[in-house]
Amino acid sequence: MKKSDRLKRMVAFYLSVVLFFVTLPILLSYSLGYHIDYNALKVYKTGILYINSHPAGASVYVNGKLHPSLTPTQVEELKPGNYRVEVRREDFYPWERELAVRPNMVTKADRIVLFPVTQDVKKVGNRETFNFVAYDKNNIYYMNGKGLFKSSIDGTVSSRISRYSNWPDRIIAKKFSPDSDKFLYYTERAISVVYLDLDKTLYGKGSDAARVEEVMTTTEPIRDVFWYSGSGYIIVITESDIKVVELRGGEKRNIITLYKFNKRPQGLFYDRSADSLYFTDISKDSGKSHLYRLDLRQTFLDSLKQFLMKKEDETQDEKR
Amino acid sequence: MRNDKFYKRLFEIIPGLLTWTTLITLFALAFVRPVWVAIFVITFDLYWVIRVCYLTTLLVFAYRRMEKEKKIDWIGQCNNIQKVNGIEYNSIYQAILFPAYKEGPDILTASISALEKANYPKERMTVVLSIEERAGQEVWDNAVLLKDKYKDVFLGFLVTRHPDNIPGEVKVKGANASWGARALKDYLDSKNIGYENVIISCFDADTCVEKEYFGCLTYHYLVNPDRTRSSYQPIPVYNNNIWHARSIARILELGSSFMQMIETMRLEKFVTFSSHSMSFKTLVDVGYWPVDMISDDSVIYWKCFLYFDGDYSVIPLYVTVSMDVATAKGIVPTIIKQYKQKRRWAWGVENFPYVMMGFMDNKKIPLIKKIRRAFNILESHYTWAIWAIIITFIAPLPLIFGGGLFRQTAIGYNLPSVSAALFRVSLFTIFVCIFITIRLLPPRPKDVKPEKRLIMIIQWFFAPLFVAVLGSTPAVDAQTRLMLGKYMQFYVTEKTRKK
Repeated sequence: MKKSDRLKRMVAFYLSVVLFFVTLPILLSYSLGYHIDYNALKVYKTGILYINSHPAGASVYVNGKLHPSLTPTQVEELKPGNYRVEVRREDFYPWERELAVRPNMVTKADRIVLFPVTQDVKKVGNRETFNFVAYDKNNIYYMNGKGLFKSSIDGTVSSRISRYSNWPDRIIAKKFSPDSDKFLYYTERAISVVYLDLDKTLYGKGSDAARVEEVMTTTEPIRDVFWYSGSGYIIVITESDIKVVELRGGEKRNIITLYKFNKRPQGLFYDRSADSLYFTDISKDSGKSHLYRLDLRQTFLDSLKQFLMKKEDETQDEKR
Repeated sequence: MRNDKFYKRLFEIIPGLLTWTTLITLFALAFVRPVWVAIFVITFDLYWVIRVCYLTTLLVFAYRRMEKEKKIDWIGQCNNIQKVNGIEYNSIYQAILFPAYKEGPDILTASISALEKANYPKERMTVVLSIEERAGQEVWDNAVLLKDKYKDVFLGFLVTRHPDNIPGEVKVKGANASWGARALKDYLDSKNIGYENVIISCFDADTCVEKEYFGCLTYHYLVNPDRTRSSYQPIPVYNNNIWHARSIARILELGSSFMQMIETMRLEKFVTFSSHSMSFKTLVDVGYWPVDMISDDSVIYWKCFLYFDGDYSVIPLYVTVSMDVATAKGIVPTIIKQYKQKRRWAWGVENFPYVMMGFMDNKKIPLIKKIRRAFNILESHYTWAIWAIIITFIAPLPLIFGGGLFRQTAIGYNLPSVSAALFRVSLFTIFVCIFITIRLLPPRPKDVKPEKRLIMIIQWFFAPLFVAVLGSTPAVDAQTRLMLGKYMQFYVTEKTRKK
């Protein structure tokens, strides 16, 4: 190696060493959230504010002072304490909150949604609508005095699928079946099912493509209704009991009472993946309220089995 | 009495143990002390970026030196000085030894043809082809054909067959090379040529020298007063099939060439690598290449270093010798081939126990020199094994396993952006690599489309990805094998060229 190369290499080496030892404390203090005041030769603990909004590109004010960059952004080297943060964008409602900045930590406000000042409300279609139900993003089913109508989600393509128009005034909820070819709606004491996209050949020419059928009325007020996973049954929870209703069978359909509440249930949750109902009830023994789980798949099959066996016994008795 | 077996095993274990301790500790700390690991990662990233910039600067220095020396008429220089340090240019002989295994006649013909084209007087050049007996009759017959073809071109053309199962030998290149060197010794004795007047170059079978190689070598040999206490190391480039090789293989081999160029600027660490030259007298004095170690190219240096009590050096030659890129048709076979080749190179870690045992025996080498050289070997292999793993796999671990609290800390938040910024800084070195790659490229063969020049540039932007895969893993593999006492066998990198 030539002398000139050796000299150049030495310069490069010592420059690298100096660069490393000068840069390292600066880089680490920045990364750890320390601020070095070179004038006072002091090191402060600082924190970071990370602000993001939807939509992005909003101005950030920290204690009333405008931050130079728009969201998403970070405000660094803040001394620990509380800061009033405002996020503003033209034509959107401002967002404001007091955020605490902790030493060497990051305070994130990254799920800010800015809502527009002018709400964009548009009429979907021109049809008079009493009520409606929508499934996924494909169709909307309108209920009005002339029947049941089906249209695309933007209301552009519309057709009447049923002339049934006797819709109740106070529908509590509407729920599509898991197989999506029907939906139910219920009032305080009645449940109806609307069958969609019927095969017209079965019902004759000119018949409706949808059919509405009241499947059950109750004396007790209905708390909730769930579809059983197979779509052929519905689980009805009234103030006093849990029932399973079979859709097939018309007026003679099977309705089984699976459980009678000791007290009107406060909480209800139906896990469709396991066909299990969770509910609260009073324990007869302790008199205290507990959470219960009813495995409907198993219970229902057992009940159905017992029910069928009972019916068979009755038939055989009649034959005898 | 010293327990040599114990010490040898201890020195075999140390590199692997260091590597694994580092990696396991960092991995474990990522769970329990993510902040510590993040601080370490940022410190290491900065160290690595500055190191890469420093090494790139050395690469530029080496390249400039190479460009400068390329213009020198070395044979003319030799003619001008004639007799120096008690030796005459006209009395210097070149012996070129090719220890070969199954390399085909096309590979060897190209290498010998390059010798023929060299501007050194052929009447002072002798070629030795040492063929492994286990390679079979066909390889031997091809060697004899080559002898018939070239015997009148050079002063001598020896073909010798290295038998298997010589006691004390294992199946390594060094054993074959030593066998060939012994045959050369007999030949020189028969011609009454003094060993100090002979420079032996031990080349891989695919090594093609450039025209000025022997002139440059002879000049440095003549002017060096300690000529027998030096090895002479050219810059290995992998130009033979570079236009037809896979990008990943090209990048890795170019990286090796660049590393070798950089090493020419760090003489205190400089060790012989691959094809190199030395005084035949020295080779005879030290007892030839090791016959039981894979990394014969570097071990011969250490053997000389120990023999001369630390008074041995490597002189860089800024001329190139060209070899084949280890490549294959498919991407996966290429990766496997490259992996095996790099693992063999990384097996150079076997130098550490060899050197340490030698240092324990040799009382004449100053302690400070021993410490420095041992540290150099250990540090280079240790860094090789950990750097790519730390940068690629350890760096994100604190964020993955550090938990929500860590991600809320300033360092947890800053770690990705700081690492990315440092990575971007290091990217500028790619432009230097592109520039030197273009300058080192051989002319484009006719069957290669002009667009491939563009690929030669673009490929460098994938270098970080290739390095992540093959940067450290072969070294970890080699060190683990040595640590566990599962010694490697010599893997001959198959040379394939497009016909």
